[in-house]
Amino acid sequence: MSAWEVAEERARAAIGRPEHRDLGVVRAEDAAEFARSAGETGPHLVDPGRPDFTVHPMYLVSLLRGAGGAGQDECRPDGMYRDEVPGTDGLDVRLMAGGQEVRFTGEVRAGDRIQVRRVLTEVERKGSGTPFLLLTVEKTYTAERGTLVRVRERFIVR
Amino acid sequence: MSVHPGQPVPPVEFTPDAVTLLRFGAVTRNTHRIHYDTGFARSEGLDGPVVMAQLHGCLMHRAAMSFAGPGGQVLEVGWQNRAPALAGERLVVSGTVGEVDPETGRVTLELVEHGGQGDVVCCRGTAVVLMG
Repeated sequence: MSAWEVAEERARAAIGRPEHRDLGVVRAEDAAEFARSAGETGPHLVDPGRPDFTVHPMYLVSLLRGAGGAGQDECRPDGMYRDEVPGTDGLDVRLMAGGQEVRFTGEVRAGDRIQVRRVLTEVERKGSGTPFLLLTVEKTYTAERGTLVRVRERFIVR
Repeated sequence: MSVHPGQPVPPVEFTPDAVTLLRFGAVTRNTHRIHYDTGFARSEGLDGPVVMAQLHGCLMHRAAMSFAGPGGQVLEVGWQNRAPALAGERLVVSGTVGEVDPETGRVTLELVEHGGQGDVVCCRGTAVVLMG
């Protein structure tokens, strides 16, 4: 069985099993640096000292970990986190992001503590020549006052 | 402002270089080596370090927000990665208005991101906005 076939078997077994991740507290300075590195110039996005400062709407959904980061033993040799793409931990497979669908349901504010609920919902075989896996993960980002963002994200496993 | 299907979405552009990718990766804690390690990226069949998917998403979002205008709102944004973009390539997102719902005011935009010399489609996506 090839590595990506093992990944497929593992992923299918993990469908519907929720995982939770703590992204920590949103810091205005980090959100501003995010906006600057994304090429934004709007003062309300890049200057955390302004009274109208706004956390960039794409900040949360772009975060792979909170400010605490992760230990070295949590990373794969390719630099990805071992638990980022379901079923691939310890396997010599190539990983790529496939895209996202993001629905904004609430405003993210500096000081929010963010929790993410992740569920693998779909595993598909794709490609007519060299086959690959397309994994769909649904994420729900919440703060104490409720849900802020819902995401459907796809990963490519070769 | 009157909005109608087929109306162009004015382009927005960004050229994320290697420094940009390092900064973006650091603040999002994205340590995937395809974004900063040339040798590793080539071992994966890429021509060099590539732009993060989320950075493409940010440019899609900016195009939508820019179209919605001051006081506008982006309700949804989505994109599919079609081809990798290399560090230093100029990326341009443009598009057209797809649907306009007169009852809710929701405007759906059909977006595309071109890279390289402008002949490579890096991403396709949609966004739903409320006009300001």
